[in-house]
Amino acid sequence: MRYQTLALRGFGWLLLAIVLLMALFPPYFMTITAFHPPNLSFSRTPTLFSTDLTLKAFTDLFEKYPYAQWMANTVMVSVASTILSVTVATLAAYSLSRLRYPGRSMLSSSVFFVYLFPATLLFIPIFIVLNNLHMLNWLPSLIAVYLTFSVPFSVWLLKAYFLSIPRELEDASLVDGATRWQSLVLIVLPLATPGIAVACIYSFTLAWNEYLYAFTLLSDQENFTLATGLTKLIFGDVFLWGMIMAGGVLMSAPLLVLYFTAQRYIVSGLAAGAVKG
Amino acid sequence: MAIRVGEALRARAPAIRIRRSLARDEAFFGYVLLLPAAILIVVLVGVPFLNALWLSFHRKLLGAQDAPWIGLQNYLTLLSDATFWQAVRNTFVFTVGSIGAKVVIGLIIALVLNEAIPLRGLWRSITMLPYAMPTLVSVLVWKWMYNDVAGVFNYLVGHQVLWLGDPNIAMPAVIAVNVWRGFPFFVITFLAGLQTVPQELYDAAKVDGAGVWARFRHVSFPGILPIVAVTTLFSAILTFNDFSIIWILTQGGPGNATNVLATLTYKIAIPGLELGKGVAVSVLMLPILVLLILLLTRFVSRREELA
Repeated sequence: MRYQTLALRGFGWLLLAIVLLMALFPPYFMTITAFHPPNLSFSRTPTLFSTDLTLKAFTDLFEKYPYAQWMANTVMVSVASTILSVTVATLAAYSLSRLRYPGRSMLSSSVFFVYLFPATLLFIPIFIVLNNLHMLNWLPSLIAVYLTFSVPFSVWLLKAYFLSIPRELEDASLVDGATRWQSLVLIVLPLATPGIAVACIYSFTLAWNEYLYAFTLLSDQENFTLATGLTKLIFGDVFLWGMIMAGGVLMSAPLLVLYFTAQRYIVSGLAAGAVKG
Repeated sequence: MAIRVGEALRARAPAIRIRRSLARDEAFFGYVLLLPAAILIVVLVGVPFLNALWLSFHRKLLGAQDAPWIGLQNYLTLLSDATFWQAVRNTFVFTVGSIGAKVVIGLIIALVLNEAIPLRGLWRSITMLPYAMPTLVSVLVWKWMYNDVAGVFNYLVGHQVLWLGDPNIAMPAVIAVNVWRGFPFFVITFLAGLQTVPQELYDAAKVDGAGVWARFRHVSFPGILPIVAVTTLFSAILTFNDFSIIWILTQGGPGNATNVLATLTYKIAIPGLELGKGVAVSVLMLPILVLLILLLTRFVSRREELA
């Protein structure tokens, strides 16, 4: 028994070590490629470590491509779709978790259903409609389209969060003569701040990462998001790995900062989603 | 006595009326709050979905104004097309392979991280790293590592392997990327599940002389089984529809070796110009998808009732 336990422990730790190395290597390799002189990316021996660091790939990226514009577009689309979806979703989630009315449970499960509805099915009709309305290749359309996944996702996440707030607090405020609206704004919302923060982080991330819609709906280079702009670089004739990795570092940085400062919230959000439903 | 009862009833009548009007207010307020989300969902998801169904019965070409009704022809051509069936097979291999690997890795790492090991918080943060990076950036880094001329994998292997260019290797290579970026989600949810298993159960098992394996088999695993089910289904649905990982790595190639239903839809609809037929591919994905979603909804709502 003792040997078995020790062997399993050893195996577990070994596997953890391997997984940690594998988790760290790609981001490390991206960073080192981004900072080493561009000619090294064509060498047969990859540069795994180097002290010869330069910002050449970054300056090239900004000079040769409208990277700053792509970043501005991505920030604009992500922020706008986050604000819109979380606002709308907060109201809907409060309604679905707190108020009683006919059809509530049906509506509640259909939200989840809609979130899992595939973009691969929706992008073609959306493409046709936007084409007919002459609204293709226009960032506000992309913001609206992003609501197709961020609204249902945020409703689902926030609903679970609202359910975890004790109902008694709200009932007490109603007994004291507050209106439903007052109790929502003054009692429930402040308590739900962590949940709302998680919903914002997720909506933002989903929009920041989105590829299929941006890829099909935007055609002019000036309108690209980071996702479409960066991938455009690999489908060219020359692979500009230094620049692509530099772009990757810049695209990852905001999310990494967000995730590691808000890690506690994110883990609890995921746990709420999976554990509490 | 009779008078007393009557009085009591009369006294309660306003209360009942108030309660009834409160309930009506509550319902009204409930619908009002739901309205913006409902309108957005109907306009942005409901209408395009119906439109997609309509399109799948028409010969709609990109750029053409008219779209003649052709009944089931889009579906029939697809069902007799070997490329379609290969995409079906590839989609299953991609989904089952990715999910299987993620469940195994996720379980083992979650169990190790659930033990009182030194620097546990740091290890957990590092595990989160692939999940925190934008999917697209991860895919680009892997594409660079798989590169056949200057890629780091060929350097490590010592000879040239066409990771994304060899039809036998491309699928496992693509699955590896999906597993890499997706396993942290499994670790985090499994860990959260393990933490809800009461410590007393482990203590009792220890007293009874259960080793690590026996404790996993009889305490941890049954305890987190519902979470394993929810996480697996959730991830299966997203993997089943995944477009960007495969598109950026291989565009479905070489040949059709990694062509899944999502990339097939795109290829038929946009570069192939046959919008109606492209939609039909994704409509054919629906039965399985709906089945998975219904299963998941049932699991999730059962957990909600318990909570």
